[in-house]
Amino acid sequence: MKWSSVLEPIKAWIKTVPLQFVYVLSAYLGESVSYDVPSSGPKSPLASHNPSFYPGIDIPSKGLVRWQLRLEYFAYETLQVLRIGKLFEIIVDYPDSCPAIDDLKQCLKYTGQHSKLVESFISSIRYRLLTAGASTNDILHQYVSTIKALRMIDPTGVFCEAVGEPIREYLKGRKDTRKCIVTMLTDGTGGNPIGTENTVDSLLEELNRDEENQENDNCEDYFNSDEKQAWINAECWEPYPIETDPLKGSSTRRKTDILGMIVGIIGSKDQLINEYRVMLAEKLLNKSDYYIDSEIRTLELLKFHFGESGANLGEMGMSLDFLDATIISSNFWPPVQEESINLPEPVDQLLSEYAKRFNEIRTPRKLFWKKNLGTVKLELQFGDRATQLIVAPVNAAIIMHFQDQTSWTSKDLAVAVGVPVDALNMRMNFWISKGVITEATVGKADDYTYTLVDMIDSSENGIDNASCEDLRSDEEGETSVASQEQLKKEHAVYENFIMAMLTNLGSMSLDHCYRNLKNLSSYDKSLQELQIFLSVFVSEEKLEFRDGMYYLRR
Amino acid sequence: MANTQNYQDNTPASMAPNVQPLKNPTPVAKTVDSQSVLKRLQSELMSLMMGGDPGISAFPTEDNIFCWKGTITGSKETVFEGTEYKLSLSFPTDYPFKPPKVKFETGCFHPNVDVYGNICLDILQDKWSSAYDVRSILLSIQSLLGEPNTSSPLNTQAAALWCNQEEYRKMVEKLYKPAV
Repeated sequence: MKWSSVLEPIKAWIKTVPLQFVYVLSAYLGESVSYDVPSSGPKSPLASHNPSFYPGIDIPSKGLVRWQLRLEYFAYETLQVLRIGKLFEIIVDYPDSCPAIDDLKQCLKYTGQHSKLVESFISSIRYRLLTAGASTNDILHQYVSTIKALRMIDPTGVFCEAVGEPIREYLKGRKDTRKCIVTMLTDGTGGNPIGTENTVDSLLEELNRDEENQENDNCEDYFNSDEKQAWINAECWEPYPIETDPLKGSSTRRKTDILGMIVGIIGSKDQLINEYRVMLAEKLLNKSDYYIDSEIRTLELLKFHFGESGANLGEMGMSLDFLDATIISSNFWPPVQEESINLPEPVDQLLSEYAKRFNEIRTPRKLFWKKNLGTVKLELQFGDRATQLIVAPVNAAIIMHFQDQTSWTSKDLAVAVGVPVDALNMRMNFWISKGVITEATVGKADDYTYTLVDMIDSSENGIDNASCEDLRSDEEGETSVASQEQLKKEHAVYENFIMAMLTNLGSMSLDHCYRNLKNLSSYDKSLQELQIFLSVFVSEEKLEFRDGMYYLRR
Repeated sequence: MANTQNYQDNTPASMAPNVQPLKNPTPVAKTVDSQSVLKRLQSELMSLMMGGDPGISAFPTEDNIFCWKGTITGSKETVFEGTEYKLSLSFPTDYPFKPPKVKFETGCFHPNVDVYGNICLDILQDKWSSAYDVRSILLSIQSLLGEPNTSSPLNTQAAALWCNQEEYRKMVEKLYKPAV
């Protein structure tokens, strides 16, 4: 194995080869006199060695023991330097490299040169990991492995924090960090398509483990558990390494809780939960069946882990109703893109009938259809030929109009479907590319004529390709759940803060406003950004700025 | 996909003064650490800001989150339409197990408000429940403006005049001194 343990073999070798040599040498030089005063006077700690350790030597002399310690220290130091130099690779190979980490831990115990480890590792991370070329996923995986590996070396988590610092800082600067973390949290695969078989890194795994721990705890005597825990904690207490910088952080935050550290990157649990909400929403929307067990499980685990403070999760009101559709209370849904479309009459009727029934069964709840979301599975029949497609509702609505009338101008069709002409023309490209519709582009965009391809031509137009295609993502980069919307909403909240501040407290300086926002909300922008934000309101005549103070305009 | 709307949402009217405590009546807690009070107030502020209800607003005063200033505007189609009142809310250290003390800072000619700004409102006294929050208090006071309880008034003159809405409106306008 690449990272097998070498420390024990080295120690054994020291005893059998160089020590024998020293023994022979010292005997030759006539210095081995110390072993005739073994038990007189205060005993040196060095003298307590078991003689059987030294093959071929009856009783070790002090000199010999010193030599052994010296050689061993040398071995420790050398091995440590070698291992620290390769620490990055070791951690990449975690958990296969556990023996090597164990060796390193032993070495550091003797040499105490932890600071070297931190320094060298940070510089190698900077050089090799935190570059533009590394994908966020890889960095996150490496981060998790680092935490796990360093936890073995130092259970108190001091180095972990020191080493993690640059990684965390770097990840904060990446836009997709949140998304990746949430994916890692929810996908059993760890969000890494290449290393799918390696679920060791999966954060979901961590969640599960946490739960198991908790469950085990619950098994213990309920009343004593606190005391017991305190006792256990006290028993495994270890002093912080001497290198601990007393200025950095209080002793309370020494956690080796991986989830905690990961969440730390995002900033707050709320942000994580928000991101999760967006992702879950998207997942659910794109589901055509009702198997949501895994989602429920993940959600429960998250709730469990974040407990009370993840109040938002509770608010999601996970009243998952297993009616025919998966229905979740409106508290859950993040802002979704609204886009009104007119569904064809028969479909619309079915939907409202469904909503009515729902209301009857589940009063006082009401069902509102979001007609533009989700997917539609439809079958197109051309004479003897049938094609199955999975498309966005808009596209389905469009094609249904051709059922009764084989030719439409873009203007009329746009009115019928209830979307703007430009949007319609864009959507039509989809059907044209499928060879279902032909387009006659004469005149302005309003007057394009779309005609259903005759069934006779269909074979030439290549409609008989794959029988069932999944074509819902016809527009690249379009996501139905808008993160942008969320950003806007965040801004609106800060606007409310500022307005409330000025309404109730009168005028306010920039500094004061900034302080209030920082203290009372999770405001993470800079003073300059706030100034720009405020100046927008001034230009919109919502606020007034005079003598260094902001006022509300009435 | 679809979502459901619960009827109980978005019905500020249900916060009217004679409302019963909503749910989970207060478990009596003897000690509340100030940290949790602080957290509660912070989250109430956050939800108030997220809610963005028109006509009510509140914010902690400088450097003291236990002391808030509030503003409510008179609802449309009441005699208080177009007026704006300042309130002060001071939270006890065992909030939310005890109600905050709420007073009008702006003079308010109202049957249930005395000349010192004290308010007679059941949810601020014996009907208090920890399920209430700043938002529901402000909404209750706002609706109290339009629907006073004239049977046990603090301001008898106002209570007597209430039946004559036209005269009452004149009185409100005459006595109204907006904050600068």
